[in-house]
Amino acid sequence: MQRREFFKTSIVASAAIIGTNLSAGQTHQPKDGQKMSDMAFPEKRPMITYSDRPPLLESPRSVFAKGITSNDDFFVRWHLPDIPTKIDLESFTIKIDGLVEKELNITLKELRNDFEQVEVTAVLQCGGNSRSAFTPMAGGIQWGSGAMGCAKWKGVRLSDLLNKARLKKDAHWIGFNGKDKAAYYETPNFVRELELEELDDHVIVAYEMNGEDLPYLNGFPLRLVIPGYYSDSWVKMLSNITVTNEYKSLFFMDVAYRVPDNATESESPEHKAKKTKPITNMNVKSIIGYPENGMKLYHNAHLVIRGVAFDDGHGIHQVMISTNEGKTWSEALLKQEDGRYAFTEFRFTYKPTKYGKMSIMAKAINRLGDEQPLSKDILWNHGGYKYNGIDVVEVEVV
Amino acid sequence: MKKVLLVSLLAFGSLFAQVEEDVEVPYISYEIKMGKGFDAVQSNCLMCHSFGYIINQGPQSREFWAKKTDKMITHFKAPMTKEDIDTVVEYLYEHYGNGKLKV
Repeated sequence: MQRREFFKTSIVASAAIIGTNLSAGQTHQPKDGQKMSDMAFPEKRPMITYSDRPPLLESPRSVFAKGITSNDDFFVRWHLPDIPTKIDLESFTIKIDGLVEKELNITLKELRNDFEQVEVTAVLQCGGNSRSAFTPMAGGIQWGSGAMGCAKWKGVRLSDLLNKARLKKDAHWIGFNGKDKAAYYETPNFVRELELEELDDHVIVAYEMNGEDLPYLNGFPLRLVIPGYYSDSWVKMLSNITVTNEYKSLFFMDVAYRVPDNATESESPEHKAKKTKPITNMNVKSIIGYPENGMKLYHNAHLVIRGVAFDDGHGIHQVMISTNEGKTWSEALLKQEDGRYAFTEFRFTYKPTKYGKMSIMAKAINRLGDEQPLSKDILWNHGGYKYNGIDVVEVEVV
Repeated sequence: MKKVLLVSLLAFGSLFAQVEEDVEVPYISYEIKMGKGFDAVQSNCLMCHSFGYIINQGPQSREFWAKKTDKMITHFKAPMTKEDIDTVVEYLYEHYGNGKLKV
């Protein structure tokens, strides 16, 4: 190696060492106001588009001024590139096999006619929603706050399907697989395994979303709905349910979608937690849908601040609003008509009297008393999961 | 009458997909920084996912890109040669790096 070259290399190396001493930096507000794509995907409006293959689409902030997210605004996240381009509704079946007395192949028609039809309104949120808030940047798509939505899901209870197939005595794990495929045969399928005890009567196999068929990109014709859980467990294009007595080792269960298994679920880049656990239940969170960052508000106008709040189904107790950087907080009015798993809508009337820049903050508190921390107090994890910082919107009064 | 019509539509209409033909997901062209090693990215990475999936991870360290590439091989079974691994990591760090060797 020439001397000059060596010199150059050592400068880069020492800079990097300084960099690692920084440890986890301060968490901040997630990215906001990203550009919408010019191109609309099937059954969708133009959305924030991170990838076309597999499709990764985010909803803009304005969608969260309402408690129900419409199907064409609803976020999309697939893991594998090969999604079937057509589902034949006559021949499509969902197969239930493994440790059951009677293996079943149920058609969509039978699903609608032979089982009790049930509905649940529930929030679907990616575990990595708001990942762009973390410093240093956590691995994965740098989502803003729109990798979530709330819909009314209709379908049949998973327990009714399992009861019809009759579980054998040693049944313990239930595996769920969809019809999406990888480019290589050897790539693992996106299979989820859940313990039988985790699955209560609220878990459904849904074919309808907000009174319409599921959009293709949200898992047509069937998807698993697990109210309160992050979306990695809500398997799309669900075609197979397999009952086993022992847990299989699976990439998407064992490596992805996990957080440190310690009290604060946190770690530092230099000392990653050795023990991790699946992300499962959602924490308490809220988002302001209106007004949005950068908006100009008319002085003395009667502004109605609107947004949504949710948790894993314990239910939202209060949403507090601050218009003075968190010095004082006032209670917003809540609308809770769709049950404990749904978005709670909040609204707060506010008359801006001072000219200039100001911020609006929203903080949700659930029935357990859990409340959202300030974003700077959220501790780092390598996957950038479970961000739930107090939402802040900066506006200008003119 | 209108109400009756609506009910019957719901009852029979919902067994059909909203899209009855093959669904086509549009192709999005992402701005790609051309340079040494892009060929290896094209023939390895883009087999399974878009270029957007790469650049929307944000600027990252050399170690990050090396680990991501390793994840694609170990967990997703991407068949990559030793040379291509190095070439791809170099390309990603050079064009989509954050200037740091480690996180």
